Amino acid sequence: MTDSTALYIHIPFCRRRCAYCSFTSYEGREANIPAYVDALTRELALYPAGLPVSSIYFGGGTPSLLPVNQFDKLLSCIYPHFAVDETAEITIEANPGTVDGKYLSFIRSLGINRLSLGVQSLDDGELKTLGRIHTAADALRSMSIARHAGFDNINLDIIYGIPGRKSDIWLRMLKDIISLEPEHLSLYPLTLDGDEPLHEAIERGEAEPLDTDAAADQYELAGHMLASHGYLHYEISNWARPGYECRHNVTYWLMRPYIGAGVAAHSYFDGRRCANTSDLDRYMASLSSNTRPARDLEERIGPDIELAEAMILGLRLTSGIDTAAIRSRYKVDLLERYSDQVRELAGLGLIERDGGRIRLTGRGRLLGNQVFLRFMPD
Amino acid sequence: MDQSLTRNFCIIAHIDHGKSTLADRLIELAGNLRQGEVRDQLLDSMELERERGITIKAKAVRLNCEAEDGKTYRLNLIDTPGHVDFSYEVSRTLAACEGAVLVIDAVQGIQAQTIANVYLAMEQNLEIIPVANKIDLPAADPERALSEISEVLGYNAGDVLLVSAKSGQGVSGVLERIIEAVPPPRGESDAPLRALVFDSHYDSYKGVIAYVRIVDGNLRRGDALRLMGQRTRMEALEVGHFLPEPQPVAELSTGDVGYVATGLKSVGQCRVGDTVTTDEHGASELLIGYRPAKPMVFAGIYPIEPESYQQFRESIDKLSLNDASLTYEPESSPLLGHGFRCGFLGLLHMDIVRERLEREFFMSVVVTSPGVNLRVTSTDGEIINVVSPSQMPPASKIDVVEEPWVGVAIVTPSKFIGPLMDLAVEYEGSYKHTEYLGHHNLPGSLGQRVQLDFEMPLRSMLSVFYDRLKSCSQGYASLDYSPIGYRPAKLVKLDVLVNDVTVDAFSRIVPPDRAHDVGKAIIAKLKQVIDRQMFKVPLQAAVGGRIVARADIPALRKDVLAKCYGGDITRKRKLLQKQKEGKKKMKYIGRVEVPKEAFTSVLKLEQ
Repeated sequence: MTDSTALYIHIPFCRRRCAYCSFTSYEGREANIPAYVDALTRELALYPAGLPVSSIYFGGGTPSLLPVNQFDKLLSCIYPHFAVDETAEITIEANPGTVDGKYLSFIRSLGINRLSLGVQSLDDGELKTLGRIHTAADALRSMSIARHAGFDNINLDIIYGIPGRKSDIWLRMLKDIISLEPEHLSLYPLTLDGDEPLHEAIERGEAEPLDTDAAADQYELAGHMLASHGYLHYEISNWARPGYECRHNVTYWLMRPYIGAGVAAHSYFDGRRCANTSDLDRYMASLSSNTRPARDLEERIGPDIELAEAMILGLRLTSGIDTAAIRSRYKVDLLERYSDQVRELAGLGLIERDGGRIRLTGRGRLLGNQVFLRFMPD
Repeated sequence: MDQSLTRNFCIIAHIDHGKSTLADRLIELAGNLRQGEVRDQLLDSMELERERGITIKAKAVRLNCEAEDGKTYRLNLIDTPGHVDFSYEVSRTLAACEGAVLVIDAVQGIQAQTIANVYLAMEQNLEIIPVANKIDLPAADPERALSEISEVLGYNAGDVLLVSAKSGQGVSGVLERIIEAVPPPRGESDAPLRALVFDSHYDSYKGVIAYVRIVDGNLRRGDALRLMGQRTRMEALEVGHFLPEPQPVAELSTGDVGYVATGLKSVGQCRVGDTVTTDEHGASELLIGYRPAKPMVFAGIYPIEPESYQQFRESIDKLSLNDASLTYEPESSPLLGHGFRCGFLGLLHMDIVRERLEREFFMSVVVTSPGVNLRVTSTDGEIINVVSPSQMPPASKIDVVEEPWVGVAIVTPSKFIGPLMDLAVEYEGSYKHTEYLGHHNLPGSLGQRVQLDFEMPLRSMLSVFYDRLKSCSQGYASLDYSPIGYRPAKLVKLDVLVNDVTVDAFSRIVPPDRAHDVGKAIIAKLKQVIDRQMFKVPLQAAVGGRIVARADIPALRKDVLAKCYGGDITRKRKLLQKQKEGKKKMKYIGRVEVPKEAFTSVLKLEQ
């Protein structure tokens, strides 16, 4: 299992970019999909044949904009080239506004066994603020279509901390979400870095500013509700029914290798972190000659950064960090190396020790950055 | 040259009435420079002074001027500082002249500093030549200006020259009038040398350059000299005058105005107002009583980067070589590090010093909120000079506090008397009297021009009083003030506590009934600029042990990164790295992280 690799495939097309999004995606370039899929197959073929793969994740952008024949083409290239585990988790992200029963059934028949629906909110006003192309009704419908299509492992992406969201709206929304009985839930705080349209609208005073206290209240309320309905809070932003933890994401937190294919896709492979160019044309051009795609980033992770990353990623998991595992993997005694940080953070009530494990406290989860930044190398 | 052909004069005016422009025109007209060579406002420009050192610091320009009587006259135009902070320097400059050209803006008419300058010139028995300037402006009302001048200042309307310094109109008449009306310098050429230092400046090659007016005797290159007041000995390494380029000459004779290069290392050794004489067989009596200008306003100056303290100290040392009025004593604050408690002549002087540190020495500095010099008598009879809140003894040890007061003259159209009276009272002023200036109504419904006299604590001048004065008079009111001595004061020290730690740099001295408002304002500002911490942070303002204002910064609850798309760990790490860098730049009050801007914003807050 530890030897296997996760595969991330980026589908950078969107019908419309959302108002809060700062990731790589293109509007109005859907005509390029066949050429792009072609480029993806060429990139994947550059990796060693027979590499064991335990999870595949189609992320975006909007992967559900890819016609079924293109998925067929992609998977027909992946399956023979890599040694994909029989029980591999194969996820596709889908926008509730882009799917129908026929589409999802076909996708499911190709072996894709996990669906991540970008629901984000069940309030049409909020969906409009976020610039989503679908309504709450679309989201509910897509959930039942997905069930009919045979998906028995469904994640819903939900955003909390949306400006102006009242606690009673959130409470009702959580109840509705829980009644949909998804196997997995990702709750992300609305975060704006500065160049998103929503951020600009707030700057101009046209939208309500973010309220971190309201976001904290929403997060805590969600935590209580989900726990009482049998969801395990296994990572800062993720909840799952037992056994449905997202294997692909856990790869990231445990610093296991992953290959990212496509525009702006990130890899952690051979001890290096790389990112492909985020320029769609450049990406396709560089692969037309079967050479490696142009990179936006390529860095070898030295031991200091590797250890810091192990801390900031591992602490995201509710189970925390197993100091014994770190000692055997990196030959470092964490409690010795980070004794000052551990003492300070425990004093602030942000982390706790439990035998050989270090983990975030409930309060520490919401203040994760304050914990993580203390482990960054100078 | 025949002493009877020399005229020494200066130009006095309210700020922006056209002093510098008129000076440029006079220099141009006398033929020293052709039009293109005169850079705008030759006598006034700091930037040029800095770039060209001694050559442009032409505090006294010699104009050779052929008059209608066919004779060539030597006119020395002496520059005067144009701000109330420098009234001591102004009075010394006036003492070097026999005449003054009084410039009055024909649009604005007589203003507070017009009157103050006229009084100063009259004290020195100067021949005053009134000039109405800007007569070419459409809004100019020369008739009104003339009658105002005659009614308020007592000059015959027919004697007032009408000019436009900008266009040059009427400027030659000013030169003629100077020659005609200003008396030639008296003084005895056979007597021992007595020369008045009216300005000085440090030159890195020639040492201190003293600007002098020779009253008696002669000053030759090579003379061994002595400053009578300060008892400094020096040699005349070079003597000369300005055209405005420096012209070295063998000697300056009785009545002349020029410069002496002294080789001294600091202007503090050669202060304005002192008398130069020869070291041997010198004069026995000073020209005027010598007293160094005393700083009135005090503030701490700290380098923003504490690591650059060494460089900062050297900068302020160098700067003071050229600024005899600046005083500075080492001071340190747990937050701001090492710096200096500096004394200034006034707020403008403080701004000039800050600006020079930044522009000439490339230092970024924090200036703490300015205060005055308090005289505190302790219960055991000791008198303590308090120039910083941290020097204030505890309330129980204080018998009497005294603070400096100023006489304030405000000239305004009568329409604004009400709001200005209220303003003065708000700033603790006591009203003295009102005087109507002339009998003319101003245009519109402004009413007549009046002068209001108040007495106020100097402390009130260090706030936004001036801005408030301008805004409540639609910009019409003008202000002049001068010290009138110390008076008993009711003042307390207001401390600011962040998470129960007293922050020296934020302490202020305030009247007890203002403590609540000031404390509230400081705390509101701090609450705005200090980020939420991992714990609740109480902010308090206190007088002695009594809390006068309080607010809490609630603990931070959420600081977490959003979705990690496609395994982009690098981006996450870089965001954290950036956050960590930001944290490193923070200052600490106890365990509270405080951004540097918090200090500047609180220090800038009005008293």
